[in-house]
Amino acid sequence: MNVKFVLNGKDIEVEAPGNRALLDLLRDDLGVKSVKKGCENGECGACTVLLDGAPVTSCLVLVPQVEGRAVTTVDGLEDDPFMVKLRQAFLEDGAIQCGFCTPGMLISSYALLKENPKPTADEVKKAIEGNLCRCTGYVAIIKAILHASEMI
Amino acid sequence: MEYDKILEDLLGRKEFLVVGKSIIRTDALDKALGRARFTSDYIQPGTVVVKEVYSTHPHALIKRVDTSAALKVPGVLAVYTGADVPGMNQIGYAIPDQPFLCDEKVHFIGDPIAIVCAEDEYAAQEARDAVVVDYDPLPANLTIDETLAKGAVHIHEGGNIAIESRIRKGDVEKGFSEAKVEIEETYETPYQDHAYIEPDVAYAVPEGAGKVTVIGAMQSPFLVREKVADVLGWKLNQVRVIQALTGGAFGGKDDTGPLVSAKAAMAAVKLGRPAALVYDRFEVTAYTPKRFPSRIHLRTGVDKDGMLTATKVDIKLDCGAFANRAPYWLWRQTVHATGPYEVPNVHVDGTAVYTNKVFGGSYRGFGDLAVHFAVDSHMDRLANELGMDPVELRLRNVLTVGKRTASDQLLDHSVGIEECIRGVAEASDWAKIREPRRNGSKVRGVGIGTAHHGISTSRGAPDWSAASVILNEDGSFTYRTSICELGQGTPIGHAKIVAEIVGAKMEAFHIEIPDTDTMANARPTHGSRGLTLGGTAAADAALKLRGQMVNIAAILFECEKDRVDLRDSVASCKDDASKTISFKELAREMYIRGANPAAYGFFTPPRRFFDPETGLGVSYPAYTFAATACEVEVDLETGQVEILKIWPAMDVGKAIDPLLIDGQIHGAISHGIGIALMESIRLDAGEVVNPNLTDYVIPSSMDTPEVAESILVEKPYRHSAFGAKGVGEPAIISIVPAISNAIYHATGVSFNTIPITAERLHAALRRGDR
Amino acid sequence: MNLIPDLEVHRPVSLGEALKQMEAPGAKPLAGGTDLIIDLREGACEARTLVDLTRVKELDYIRESEGMIRIGAMTHHTDLMTSGLIKTKAPVLSEAASLVGSVQIRNLGTVGGNICNASPGADTATPLLALGAEATLSSSGGVRTIPLGEFFAGPKRTSLDTGELLTELSFPTPPTGSGGAFQKLGRRKGCTLSLINIAACVELDGDTCSEVRVAVGACAPTPVRITDVEEMLKGKKVDEAVIDEVSSACYGLVQPSQRAHSRASEEYRREMSCVLMRRALTTALERARGNK
Repeated sequence: MNVKFVLNGKDIEVEAPGNRALLDLLRDDLGVKSVKKGCENGECGACTVLLDGAPVTSCLVLVPQVEGRAVTTVDGLEDDPFMVKLRQAFLEDGAIQCGFCTPGMLISSYALLKENPKPTADEVKKAIEGNLCRCTGYVAIIKAILHASEMI
Repeated sequence: MEYDKILEDLLGRKEFLVVGKSIIRTDALDKALGRARFTSDYIQPGTVVVKEVYSTHPHALIKRVDTSAALKVPGVLAVYTGADVPGMNQIGYAIPDQPFLCDEKVHFIGDPIAIVCAEDEYAAQEARDAVVVDYDPLPANLTIDETLAKGAVHIHEGGNIAIESRIRKGDVEKGFSEAKVEIEETYETPYQDHAYIEPDVAYAVPEGAGKVTVIGAMQSPFLVREKVADVLGWKLNQVRVIQALTGGAFGGKDDTGPLVSAKAAMAAVKLGRPAALVYDRFEVTAYTPKRFPSRIHLRTGVDKDGMLTATKVDIKLDCGAFANRAPYWLWRQTVHATGPYEVPNVHVDGTAVYTNKVFGGSYRGFGDLAVHFAVDSHMDRLANELGMDPVELRLRNVLTVGKRTASDQLLDHSVGIEECIRGVAEASDWAKIREPRRNGSKVRGVGIGTAHHGISTSRGAPDWSAASVILNEDGSFTYRTSICELGQGTPIGHAKIVAEIVGAKMEAFHIEIPDTDTMANARPTHGSRGLTLGGTAAADAALKLRGQMVNIAAILFECEKDRVDLRDSVASCKDDASKTISFKELAREMYIRGANPAAYGFFTPPRRFFDPETGLGVSYPAYTFAATACEVEVDLETGQVEILKIWPAMDVGKAIDPLLIDGQIHGAISHGIGIALMESIRLDAGEVVNPNLTDYVIPSSMDTPEVAESILVEKPYRHSAFGAKGVGEPAIISIVPAISNAIYHATGVSFNTIPITAERLHAALRRGDR
Repeated sequence: MNLIPDLEVHRPVSLGEALKQMEAPGAKPLAGGTDLIIDLREGACEARTLVDLTRVKELDYIRESEGMIRIGAMTHHTDLMTSGLIKTKAPVLSEAASLVGSVQIRNLGTVGGNICNASPGADTATPLLALGAEATLSSSGGVRTIPLGEFFAGPKRTSLDTGELLTELSFPTPPTGSGGAFQKLGRRKGCTLSLINIAACVELDGDTCSEVRVAVGACAPTPVRITDVEEMLKGKKVDEAVIDEVSSACYGLVQPSQRAHSRASEEYRREMSCVLMRRALTTALERARGNK
């Protein structure tokens, strides 16, 4: 089926079968490798992207469902002022180890700060409860998000 | 060794250039931008999809494998079985008990029988489903007791015992006769999963007729090379293995690296096309090697003054279908069986047995995690019987310089466990928070856990590492180590060590990803050896290169070598401020003059001697130590445990990068909470029943406790770069008993098993277990 | 292996169009996909024709009219969680919605999808039952409204007829003097399934409980009201002794699964039904008293 949507700010048109997951379209058909595949069950959050500005697990979204909508990955937010500060905080606070959860984690954190620029630690934890990290223990990530909120 | 003298000089510096300072990881920006490439990110369109056909029986003979229907599926290129393996159909790690593709029998549900190769995933799936295997089921041994029972079917020729271990030190019966209190308990730990977020994967590309390149997620590129060459029947130099950035490993990819890579490589070579094997989460959780389940029986005596007099330990280790890492796991458990305490009389018997279940493999903390859970929980019971404070009991027995480990190894330096225990006791205000605090249905408790963990390989087996550094013409450096970046930052730690020694800015470094074609074998990234051994090889290379740089600088400055100073990527003369050149200029001079701009470094720790009969000797070159205090709040009505606060302490030898160390400690805390409270792989008749992240529950962000500032104790190991010791494992080991002891304090229930789920704790409270 | 089978996906933009497409044999609606896509991947769903309701905006609403709160089936959990109307008038529902999965799941998942998936432990089912909700089912042939309790037929089974879509959930606006509470027990603090959940809604007339509805999840083949508890409380002056009594009674009133590898044992669920009931009732009553 023909699906038109916006990817990282650019209009895009794809042909995809009805059973194509957005995750696979992005990675395999469109070369957007920043989106990671960890579980395909909506559990790990490594595949998180923004759909109309809201974080979703792209492994559970079928391509037909994004018709007319905006999909955003970290690639599309590279120069975004909030993301620049968030990214800097992640780097400075040691919030990145293996890096596999990082793009998804940044997407969820970014969405939080856009909606709630001064979150509490509990709000931060709640915003990333769907992004599993096995390396950092979340401590540095939570610290980085709070740090970024001070910089914004 | 001249190195020791230079090391002393380096350690003696009042101020380090980069060592000891936290830096922004050199690989972090790429990861944050989503540009960092993991194995799957390299796979090109048109790559053959490889998937495995797995045994559906826990134990059976294979009568026939019929691939004819599978081969007819459109898009299927080939189906290979054991008969198609060009080289050795054997991939066992320590013991040759593990077929690469089972051809005679299957040993667990998940044992690979064939690989299907197809143009796309759907064809591969259809083909996999179409392969027909005719089994002749055999009785399955599903528990330790079943497999040891008289008349039990043999899983492997030679019986169901894979390996045994022992320690005989002193006279335990005499020791028990001197004890005032004697406690005997059995502790059990289950299968647990690494749950790394990146599933296992390998991508193989054939180059010409006799070469293949494999890019994969792994921890030991040279082990992978060896196993791939074995399976292909090729020489080592026909296989090139590259470790791509890996999305978490924790030991698991040490084992899956060779298994997955060899399958992808075999497909690629036979088909003459790039081929990739990508695991899905089900396969990762149900079929890849796990933390070994163990049953540890402890009988320990302590005298009226709180001095441990004797310990008798029986360890039963459940290997699952293959021995794999069992010898190392069991030996580690055996020689750490007293915990970090000196016990004069030690008797240990260890038995690793085969069962028809998924097999065990490397996992952070190794068998020391189960041992310390048992021993430290036991210590709190002993303390309770004696009427002594648990910290006090530990301090009376703790290992210090001059004391001996379970295997009678004399610790002559680098022992910081006492400082760790005192540190967390003070930081947590131990005496004060030991007063039980009840608030409605909730009760708070605190506990302490400890760890000691030998670095590198067990029992005198030789270990060594190697690295190389190249100074490029423009003053930049290329650092090469085959120690793998798994997220822990070890190669970055190496680069810091090199930067410190050669006086270069960190920005001048590029750390190459491991490539067996171009690098020295640093040996595996496990056993907490990556920094201690790998980093010391780096230091050796750096010292040599420094010498070469200093030689030329001295010529250029017309001064003595010891007057040359290297720092911030500039060479200067200490006596004449005008004499200064950039590393770029120095490098150019070196190249013109034919001075070697590169260096190969090698390190082997001092030789160790070990007696397998008594189990006594020098087990490890060095030990890391940790202590953790933990405060919990238990909801007595539901059995739920909330971890309120953690106080971590670790003897790191020398802190190369405090931010990286904290990263390891915090990660270990979260992972340890999962291990202590949430995680277990459950099986029914040999089948994993929770093969996904919904039902194999690991901690989320909301389970994160408050974590106090890490107490870093520095007791340098005199043979390693700057005295550094590996930090990845002791924290995870010590937190598990810290949690179980805190629960004991809060509720009076001492658990002999993990995970301590809410349901189990609630049931224990109901029963009045004390 | 985790592969989504071949699918025919229809993408209606209106309810009328959707209902027409639902007439196709074996057609199944797709909302957020947080259960359906997983089922398809695991081979637990046989449907191969999906009617994707993503663009049927007319099913995405939360409104109050004539004393009824009406929620369109395509309302996302995030919206239930943040809706001023729900948070003020039926917080038991916004609380439950906030505990569904994670941010990502709440952004994708819908209340209609949660109800139609009909997991015995569905987090929005028990609050809706406790609110006395009704389900509106629409087809090309007409519309019918049934009590939500009649909608659940068994574990992951509903009483939807072929061609029918759940289009709305509605309940009377809780009056002043009422209060509700939701209690959930999971296996970790974040992004977790309910091992058991309980929702309680009470209305107080002075000190007397004039109306009470309690529902339990994951303790029966479907989310279900515990009418015995309701009868024990209705018309009574509710004090701590009464709460204790009804809570203890839950032990024998719930019917948790006895399956060997259930996420929690039968015994634990029975015990926890008592604990959660007491907590839910206590909180509901406190809120009712504060809501005069």
